[in-house]
Amino acid sequence: MGNSAIIPADQITRDLLPQKFGTRGVIWTTILILTCMLGAFAYYRQLRYGLVVTNMRDYVSWGIYISNFVFFVAISLVGSLITAILRLANVHWSTPLTRIAEIIAVSAIVFAALIIIVDMGRPERFLNLALHGRIQSPIMWDVIVISTYFFISLLLLYFPLLPDLKIMIENKEKTSKWLYKLYRFQGSFWKGTKEQFRLSDKAINILCILIIPVAFSIHTVTSWLFATTYRPGWDSTNFGAYFISGAFLVGSGAVVVAMYVFRSAYKLEKYITELHFDRMGKVVVMLSLLYLYFNINEYLIPAFKMKKSEELHLEELFTGEYSKMFWFAIMVGMIIPIFVLIFKAGRKPLPMFIIGSMVVVGAWFKRYLIVTPTLLHPFLPMTNVPESFKHYFPSWEEWAIAAGSMAGVLLVITFFARIYPIIPIQETITEQTEHHENN
Amino acid sequence: MSCNCGENKCSNPDNPEVNGNSRRDFLMTGLTGLAATVALAGCGTGPNPFIPEEKVALTGGKVKLLSVNGEIIEIDKAFLKPVPDMPHLSNAEERHGIAGKKFVMVIDLARCKNLRKCQSACNHMHQVHPGQNWIKVLGMEDADHAAPYWQPTTCMHCDEPPCVKVCPVDATFKRQDGIVLIDSDRCVGCRFCMAACPYSTRVFNWEEPVLTEEVAEQKYSCESSMPQKKGTVGKCDFCPDMTRKGELPHCVSACPNGVFMFGDLNQDTVSNGAETFRFSELIKDKAGYRLMEDLGTKPSVYYLPPVNRNFPYENGLENSKTDDNSYHTK
Amino acid sequence: MKIIKQNILSLLFVFTFLLLPVIKIMAQEDTAAGTPVVKLHYYNNNNSIQYVILESSLKKNKVFTPQKNKSYALFLDQSTPENLIGNILTDNEGKAKVFVPPSLKAAWDAAGTHNFIVKEGEEEIISDYAITKSMLTIDTASEDGVRTITVTAMKWEKNKWIPASDVEMKIGIERQASILSAGTTETYTTDSAGKATVELKRDSLPGDVNGNYTLAARVEDNDLFGNILVEKNVPWGVPTTIDTNFFNIRALWTTRFKTPYWLLFMAYSIVIGIWGTLIYLIVQMVKIAKMGKTP
Ligand code: SF4
Ligand code: SF4
Repeated sequence: MGNSAIIPADQITRDLLPQKFGTRGVIWTTILILTCMLGAFAYYRQLRYGLVVTNMRDYVSWGIYISNFVFFVAISLVGSLITAILRLANVHWSTPLTRIAEIIAVSAIVFAALIIIVDMGRPERFLNLALHGRIQSPIMWDVIVISTYFFISLLLLYFPLLPDLKIMIENKEKTSKWLYKLYRFQGSFWKGTKEQFRLSDKAINILCILIIPVAFSIHTVTSWLFATTYRPGWDSTNFGAYFISGAFLVGSGAVVVAMYVFRSAYKLEKYITELHFDRMGKVVVMLSLLYLYFNINEYLIPAFKMKKSEELHLEELFTGEYSKMFWFAIMVGMIIPIFVLIFKAGRKPLPMFIIGSMVVVGAWFKRYLIVTPTLLHPFLPMTNVPESFKHYFPSWEEWAIAAGSMAGVLLVITFFARIYPIIPIQETITEQTEHHENN
Repeated sequence: MSCNCGENKCSNPDNPEVNGNSRRDFLMTGLTGLAATVALAGCGTGPNPFIPEEKVALTGGKVKLLSVNGEIIEIDKAFLKPVPDMPHLSNAEERHGIAGKKFVMVIDLARCKNLRKCQSACNHMHQVHPGQNWIKVLGMEDADHAAPYWQPTTCMHCDEPPCVKVCPVDATFKRQDGIVLIDSDRCVGCRFCMAACPYSTRVFNWEEPVLTEEVAEQKYSCESSMPQKKGTVGKCDFCPDMTRKGELPHCVSACPNGVFMFGDLNQDTVSNGAETFRFSELIKDKAGYRLMEDLGTKPSVYYLPPVNRNFPYENGLENSKTDDNSYHTK
Repeated sequence: MKIIKQNILSLLFVFTFLLLPVIKIMAQEDTAAGTPVVKLHYYNNNNSIQYVILESSLKKNKVFTPQKNKSYALFLDQSTPENLIGNILTDNEGKAKVFVPPSLKAAWDAAGTHNFIVKEGEEEIISDYAITKSMLTIDTASEDGVRTITVTAMKWEKNKWIPASDVEMKIGIERQASILSAGTTETYTTDSAGKATVELKRDSLPGDVNGNYTLAARVEDNDLFGNILVEKNVPWGVPTTIDTNFFNIRALWTTRFKTPYWLLFMAYSIVIGIWGTLIYLIVQMVKIAKMGKTP
């Protein structure tokens, strides 16, 4: 491995135990909480006056809530990539990243579910989905797979946490009283016996296998929410694969950003090394190329035929009203990352951080472009409606709720990192020893 | 046949027991039911010469009245009203539909001049939100050198309705009489159906609907689609409350040019009130077609092509300017 | 421009000419409040009980709004208390339905033509809505495969039923909210013998399960006779069994109780497979926990 120096176990523990927020941490959390509150206020207005506070109307009946939903589901997919796929492929360098990926997955999927409730006209009837649910509807499929994915991710977060809980319980003096209570409640039964490790390792392995099909399902089903309609731009058999490749890309981008932030905030240079950035960089290049491939499929083939229903839609994207956003999303989300990251210098932490952010931002706009322009190009002309129905730009309430939900995701991650070690302590120690022994 | 009926009654609340209703439903087929009472009424002794008794919520009270011959005949008090009260329908019955019917509409494009009387009647009767419409009259021009024409669009009441396929809670459903309805008491407002409908016919109650007091106090009924509810979808419902009474939908009777024709496919007849046609002949003679046949939605609305038009396209342009341009918010 | 003007003029002309005798437009208040319009319609179905429907609305800027809860009094021939048919109150649609009570039998039998008089308060607002008692009968014949329908219209004049000629009516088959003409024209007119004969041109029209359908002859808003309808059931249709299989279909668009089996199978096998495993894992978790507690 890159960093050949062996770090003693007690130092690892000391370095990786959760730390109190510094001033920056406090400011950061305050900003997030304020954004969440703004979102909550906007949602209160929406509950009170109805969805009329948004700028969605009869033609654009889905707006940035749905884009955001797709975005969150996409990001959450990375949990399965880093933890499961790489683990099964016997890749060990990714071990320090698993918990970051997993908490991103859990919080993103929670907010994906919440944003869907926000988008509903009658959120108080949510239980109708259980009372009257019909399995023919892709929404039901989504409800089922998302709850399953959430549950699996939670388990996948919890099992590897058990040994770390023991370590934290042992380091009682370093935590506050109520956190200690929490740790004891969650993990006092973990004694670290061989048998316990055996069962837990087996469980983790099963989970890793299980999460892959479920992860593929959540995003495939999400893409089917669109692909099961007739609309130009959505009516595509490519959609499942297209969404999944995009999801892995944005998720990896998010992990890169999180790696960088945790690394500098908690001084984890010894654990999240340049090597990790380098490897993640290669992963991002590969995923960008894959996503680009699906994008070409998705746009070139309909553009080659230019069916009447697709024509206006594609023109708006390529050269029309949405062209700036479209090319921005393609360039920032795929092309530039590929060109920067194929160079070794591009895979250093800071450029990686910038590229990771670009990928995430580009991906958000990509989701916007998947939802909105299609709805503005229905089969029959848009007439007999007020002028405002023929355009869409989110209202402040929509922006506030979208921002609030993002802040919510970040807040969950932040608090998680405050309470639990963001890099698995036990696993790092084990790996170090194994590495040492192998040498 | 009858054993089929027996099988129909599933143990679920959404499939109301057919047997329970069979007598009424059977009579609701109109013809046969009417005939039974008519035979009696013809000789002046029938209990009720107007609407088959089974269709009406009877009061039990009787009144004596005078016939044209000066005979004295007794009828139920329910018939004293201009429109006798219909029996209250349960949600399950409303979801079931009118047995034996299969409603169709024919829209003759050659007769339309964008008067939008259909639209205003529909909006008025259903208290559609200002700015929104269940019926739209589209100015169509299929290609650069193709002739423009006016095309009224309603919900197509598709036989393979994509909107129903995607609804997660059975809030929009297809009835046995072919009508696709919405249950605003169940709709969760996910708007998936709006995205799924290729005819863009669905509207959403983005804010509290603007209702008259009288309607706002009514009990909600899927058949009348009233009163509409905030946060749920709405659309053209083929006026099943009118058809149950044996009347034509509002748009059909409102159009002065007889553009809309409505009827029962099982009876092979459509009518615009003034004229009545045999459906199969009309479609054959005028080469009727349906919109977006290639999507496989199997609409219940047929169009007659805009040939030999009654009005030039330009005559309709004036009326396009009257669009209600605001969806007013509070 | 000129043509349009002419059109409008002639339209106006036709409008007033046609509708004046039937509709009574009462200009009571100024037009800003709207003009009240009260109409009477006489009905008789199958030569049984006759009734009159009063329709009251307010006309303002070409829009008619029903006048609810308005009271009127309806009289037969004379507006004297003994000739009162009934005091009426309009419903939500501005309509009221009135029957002739048996107490007016003597007056009703006394003449062939009756006047219906409407009073609003003390004012007579309709005084000349006259209806002649009439009767429609429907006869059918089928010879050499040709089916004919003969409708006879009679009116009560000089104490007997005599043929009514020149009565326009629809003759055909009763359908959903309409009558499908039996022949090739929309309407038929009776000859001097009061008869209108139509040859049935509607081959193989669907009837009910036994091939029955109802023939009907209907006179609509006739100046003399009002609205009269007569019906007759005939076995001339094609027996049509209606597909009652609707609620047994399993398709993607049916209710949740009729989900296609393949979909159910897929959904259940996936859900059971995955959640089964998850439950197994929770059991493992409990095992681990137990191990920790009993060292
Ligand atoms: S026209 Fe649209 S709303 Fe109506 S049934 Fe078809 S898909 Fe559904
Ligand atoms: S908006 Fe209502 S009717 Fe439409 S799919 Fe959702 S729940 Fe069903």
